[in-house]
Amino acid sequence: MFAYVIRRLWQMVPTLLGVVLLVFGLFNFVGGDPAYLLAGKISNPEQIENIRRQLGVDQPYYVQLWIFLKQIATGDFGVSWATNERVSAIFATRLGPSLTVLLPLLVIDTLLAMAAAMLVAYMRGSLTDRLVMIGCTVGQSVSILVYIIVLQYVLAYQLGWFPVQGWGNNLAENLFRFSLLPIIVGVVVSLAPDTRLYRSFFLDEINQDYVRTARAKGMGEGRVMWVHVLRNASIPIITNVMIQLPGLLAGAFLIERFFSIPGIGREVILAVERSDFPVIKAITIYVAIATMVINLLADLLYKAVDPRVQLK
Amino acid sequence: MIAAPEPNTVRRWCSRLARVLLLCMFGAIAHAADPAKSLRVTFMAAETGFDPVKTSDVYSGTVIEAIFEPLLTYDYLARPARLVPNTAESLPLVADTGRTYTLKLKKGIYFADDPAFKGKQRELTAEDYAYTIKRYLDPKNRSPYSFLFEGKIAGLDELAAQAKKSGRFDYDAKVPGLEVSDRYTLRIRLKQTDFNFSHVLAFSQVGAVAREVVEAYGDDINSHPVGTGAYRLKRYVRSSKIVLEANPRYRGRTWDFAAGDDPRDREIVAQMKGKQLPLIGTVEISIMEETQSRWLAFERGETDIEYQLWEVAPKYMTADGKLRPEFAKRGIKLDRSVDPEIIYMHFNTQEKIGDEPNPLGGFSKEKIALRRAIAMAYRIDDQLRIIRQGQAVKAEYPIPPGVAGHDPYYKSSIRYDPRTANALLDKFGYKKGPGGYRTQPDGKPLVLQFWSIPIERDRQFDEVMKRSLDAIGLRVEIRKERFAELIKLDKQCRLMMHNSAWIADYPDGDNFMQLLYGPNTGQSNSACYRSPEFDRMYEKSRMLPDGPARNKLYHDMTRLMEVHTVWILEDSRYRNVLLQPYVVGYKRHPVMHAEWMYVDLAAKRGN
Repeated sequence: MFAYVIRRLWQMVPTLLGVVLLVFGLFNFVGGDPAYLLAGKISNPEQIENIRRQLGVDQPYYVQLWIFLKQIATGDFGVSWATNERVSAIFATRLGPSLTVLLPLLVIDTLLAMAAAMLVAYMRGSLTDRLVMIGCTVGQSVSILVYIIVLQYVLAYQLGWFPVQGWGNNLAENLFRFSLLPIIVGVVVSLAPDTRLYRSFFLDEINQDYVRTARAKGMGEGRVMWVHVLRNASIPIITNVMIQLPGLLAGAFLIERFFSIPGIGREVILAVERSDFPVIKAITIYVAIATMVINLLADLLYKAVDPRVQLK
Repeated sequence: MIAAPEPNTVRRWCSRLARVLLLCMFGAIAHAADPAKSLRVTFMAAETGFDPVKTSDVYSGTVIEAIFEPLLTYDYLARPARLVPNTAESLPLVADTGRTYTLKLKKGIYFADDPAFKGKQRELTAEDYAYTIKRYLDPKNRSPYSFLFEGKIAGLDELAAQAKKSGRFDYDAKVPGLEVSDRYTLRIRLKQTDFNFSHVLAFSQVGAVAREVVEAYGDDINSHPVGTGAYRLKRYVRSSKIVLEANPRYRGRTWDFAAGDDPRDREIVAQMKGKQLPLIGTVEISIMEETQSRWLAFERGETDIEYQLWEVAPKYMTADGKLRPEFAKRGIKLDRSVDPEIIYMHFNTQEKIGDEPNPLGGFSKEKIALRRAIAMAYRIDDQLRIIRQGQAVKAEYPIPPGVAGHDPYYKSSIRYDPRTANALLDKFGYKKGPGGYRTQPDGKPLVLQFWSIPIERDRQFDEVMKRSLDAIGLRVEIRKERFAELIKLDKQCRLMMHNSAWIADYPDGDNFMQLLYGPNTGQSNSACYRSPEFDRMYEKSRMLPDGPARNKLYHDMTRLMEVHTVWILEDSRYRNVLLQPYVVGYKRHPVMHAEWMYVDLAAKRGN
C-alpha cells in the first residue's frame, strides 16, 4: 500500500503543474489588468506602471511563473493586492465560518439522503417511492437562489425563527444561532439530488445475487439492508461525499452572501471581482491539492470498507 | 528625619490632586457618547482597509471618515456643502492669489490611544498633516488619491521623483510647500493658483495619521486605523463586521448647525441643538451584499439606517418619491436626496481609435452632426422610467445638485428629438442603405460601438442604446468587456461610446469640469476631448474662487461641450435613506458619509 500511496502522490505533480499553467494562463491572457483597478479614478500611465512594478506583473511571464511555483512550494502566497491582508490570514480567518456551516450541512445531508434513499429503494415502485422521486425531481429543478430567498423570507422574516443574517463572536452562537437557517437551506438544496443518486446505488445493490442469497438463507430484512446492502452501497456514497469535500474549501458563496457569513466563498467572489490574483492563485491551488489528496483518501477508504478492493 | 508637612502644603497637594483628577476625568470623557446606544448600519460591498492613503472605495472611506479628521470639514446641514474648520482653528488664510494656505490647528487634540504611542498621550500637530500629505506621493503607497496633491505642492513632486529613483521616500526631507512654522501652524505653498484647494483639505481621507502608528504597523496599517476622530475601531472582521466605538480621547463638540432652506432642517435643529457629540457609543457595520438581506434585516428591526435599497424602492416608496403610508404609520422615515454624481455617455472625440478611423471622432461638421443626432435620439426617459424605475433625475448640467457651481436653472440645448436627429443625419450625407442602416458620408459602412460590462444592468443600457439608434438608422455593435479591462481601454482612449459615472470627491464644480480638460486625457477625460477653447476657459476657472465669475465660465464651457457634443448627460440617482423611527437628527450629506457622529437614537429596543 505504501508504494501505491507514493505512486499516487508522485502522479499529483504533473496534475498540479497543469492546474498552475491553466490558472496562470487564464489570469494573464483572459483576466483584466489589476493595476487599472487599483490605480483609482484618476491615474496616469506612470502610476499604472508603478503599480504593475510593485505587483510584479511587469516581469516576464517566466519570472512570474517561477514566483508562482515558489509560492506553492513555500505555501506563502504573499498578500492580497486589494487589501494587503496576508493570503494565509485570509484562509485562517475565513475557513472557520465556512466549515461551521458546510461540515454540519454535509453530515446532515448525507445521513438524511442515505436514510431516505435506502427507504425508497426498499419500497421501490410503491406510491411512496414515486412521490419521493417526483418530489426530488421537482426539488432538483428549483434554483438554490429560490430556496435561499424563500426560506430566508418565510423562516427568518415572517416567522422569526432565525435571524435574517449575521455572524457572532463564538462557535456556539454561530453554530446554534446563525448557521441553522443556512444549514437548513443547504440541506434542502442537496437532499433531492443526493437522495436520487443514493437510491440508485442502493437499487444496484438490492438487485445483486448476494442479496437474494441472503434472503434465501432466511436472513432478516433489517440485516440484509443495514449490513449487506448498506456496506456495499457505501463505496459510491463515499465517493460522492469525498468529491464534495474539496468544495468545502471554496465555501458556498451564495449562502455566505445572503446570510452574511464571513466565509471563504465570499472571499473568492471578492477576489475575482477585484482581480486579486494572489487570493485566486491560493484558493485554486489549495482546492486542486485537496481534491487530489481526498481522492487518494477515498481510494484508501474503499479498501477499508471492502477488503476485496485491490489498490494497484 | 522627615518633617510632617505643613497644613498649607497638604491643602496645596490636595488641590493639585483634585485638579489632576478633574483633568483626567474630563480629558478622558470629553464627549457624551452613551455606550448603550448602538447604531446598526450596513455596507453593500466589502471594505478594503482603513489606511486613508491606500483605499478609494466608498465603504472604507466612510469608516475612515469616522476615525480620522481632516483640517477642514463641511457644515452638516448647509446645502450646497459649506466648508467649516475641523481640527483647524478657522478656515485657511489664503494669500498670494490662492497659492499659499496657512492653517492653525486647535490645541489639545489627541489621537486615540494605541500601543504605538507607548502609553503616552499623543497630541495632533501640524507635522502630522505634513506627513499625511507626503504619504500620498510615496510611490510605495501607490495611492489612488495621489492626484489630489500631485503637481500641486512646491517641492513635493521632486521628493517623490527622488523616491522613485532611490526606492525610499525621505519623510524627513524639508518640502518648501509644506512648511511647519510651529507645532500648530502649517503653511502650504502651491505651484499654481488654486482657490479650491480648501476642498482637498476637507477631503475625508486627508485626515491626519501619526507617523509612529504607520511605522509600527507597516504593511498591516490597513487594519490599524488610529486617528483623532469621534470613533475608533473596536472590532474588525474583514469583509463582514466593523464595530466602532466612541473615541475616549475625542475632544467632543456641540451640535450647533443652522437650519437651511430645507423644511426638515428645523425639525433636526429642534431635536439636536446643543447636544454634545458624539451621542452614539457604538456603530456596528455589517457587510450585506444582497438587497433581500438588507431589506429584511431593516424590516425586522435588525438595522437602524438603510440606504442601499434601489431595487426594492417601489416596496416602500410611491411613484412620486413619498414613503408609503404603511411605513409612515410605523414611524419609519425617508431621507431622499440626489447624489452628487453624474452618469454620462461619452463619445470618443479622437479621430482614430488605435490605428482605425473613428467614425464619430473629430470636430468636422458631419462628425459633430453624427454625435448630436445620437444624443438627440437617446431615449433618456426610457432610462429613467425602465432602468432607474424613477430613482434618478435627468442631468442637465455637468455639475450635479449639491455641488458648488451647479446651476439649477440650466437646460441642456440637446433635447430628445429623433425627428430632427434623422433630418440632421440626412443633411450631412449619412444616407440609408438597403438594410435601413445609414452609411458614412463617403459611402463607407457606418458601425458604431457601444461598450459595457457583461452584467444585467448594463444589458438594459445596451438595449436602450440599440433601440435609440435603430430609430435613426444607425447600426450599433454592443461590445462587452470585463470591468478592469474596460478601465484600461478607457484610459487608452479605445472606447467609442461608453457610459461613465462620476461622484464628487469634493463638492466643488472643478471636480466635474476637469473631466473634459484636454490634459486629463488618459486619466479622467474619457472622451479624450481636446478643445483649446475649453481648456483655456477651464484653466481660467481654476484661478477663480467659487462665485458668479467662475459660474459664468462653467456655463460657457458647458455650452461649448454641447456644441461639440462630447457627452450625453444622462442622470443623477436619488439616494433614499430609510430610518427607523428612533433615529433622530439624520440628514444625508452630499459628500460626508459617516453621518453617525451627528445623529442620536431616541429610546428604543432596550437601548
